[in-house]
Amino acid sequence: KLNIGVDTIQHGVEGLVYLLTESSKLMASIPFRKISEVDFQDSIHVLGFSDELNKSLLQLYLDNRKEIRSILGELAPRLPSYHSLEWRLDVQLASRSLRQQIKPAVTMKLHLNQNEDQTAQVLQTDPATLLHLIQQLEQALGEMKMNHCRRIVRNMK
Amino acid sequence: ILDDPDLKDIDPTVLKHCHAAAATCILEAGKQKADVSAISTCLEDCKLDKERIEQFCTEYQKNKDALEILLGSIGRSPLHITDVSWRLEYQIKNNQLHKTYQPSYLVTLNVENSDSGSHPDVRFSCTMEQLQDLVGKLKDAAKSLERATQM
Repeated sequence: KLNIGVDTIQHGVEGLVYLLTESSKLMASIPFRKISEVDFQDSIHVLGFSDELNKSLLQLYLDNRKEIRSILGELAPRLPSYHSLEWRLDVQLASRSLRQQIKPAVTMKLHLNQNEDQTAQVLQTDPATLLHLIQQLEQALGEMKMNHCRRIVRNMK
Repeated sequence: ILDDPDLKDIDPTVLKHCHAAAATCILEAGKQKADVSAISTCLEDCKLDKERIEQFCTEYQKNKDALEILLGSIGRSPLHITDVSWRLEYQIKNNQLHKTYQPSYLVTLNVENSDSGSHPDVRFSCTMEQLQDLVGKLKDAAKSLERATQM
């Protein structure tokens, strides 16, 4: 319908995609910083398009920036991430090798997300280790509140 | 036992039978958590003399606890968590996205297999909120354990 060759359109689309993803990748998505808009405008000015085209491109970039950034964020290398945990208390009373036991244990199902697949792993631990786990992970949480971390987060924005 | 110099005069087959019999007796006693009188009665029925029965029972009592621990550890169970380590990191950029500025935790759970002993660790990443969720759930489990012990 546009009367242009397929190749030209493909190149056009690829060019647009590259422009938008690179801009979204590199520029801070802080709404009140107008500098990023100026950066964008300067960059496309070099291409020598008309003013009207530049304005449309800028608008296109601003409208889609957030979404593009969140999609790009999903592409980064990642470890499986935590989804949820189910747990239950068990007491082993007897086994084939030993009768009359009282052996408490906590059985858990750890749900993880890996690249859109959900995996579930069944794990078990004894009461002593459970308390140790809680203590260690609470320490981990506490780190974020320490001055060291706060300073870094503040200064690196 | 077959290499013991004191026993070299005895026919090896007989020795093997004796060893197997003694082992079976000990394991059954351990499995059933039998007390000394039950074992004595059983051995009396087998026509052992009093001195031998006493010796056997004394030795058995000495090793009873270790035996119970060993028997209790035999058996299948899900992967057992032995330890946890964590790492807090703050991401600045990656090759897909610059200026990401996101803190995240990397948690490693060291696990052991009941059969083979070692197993690759369970690793995952999580945000602070997710870690809080995890710790909250673990604390619920611990509280529930405490309540159960008080029943």
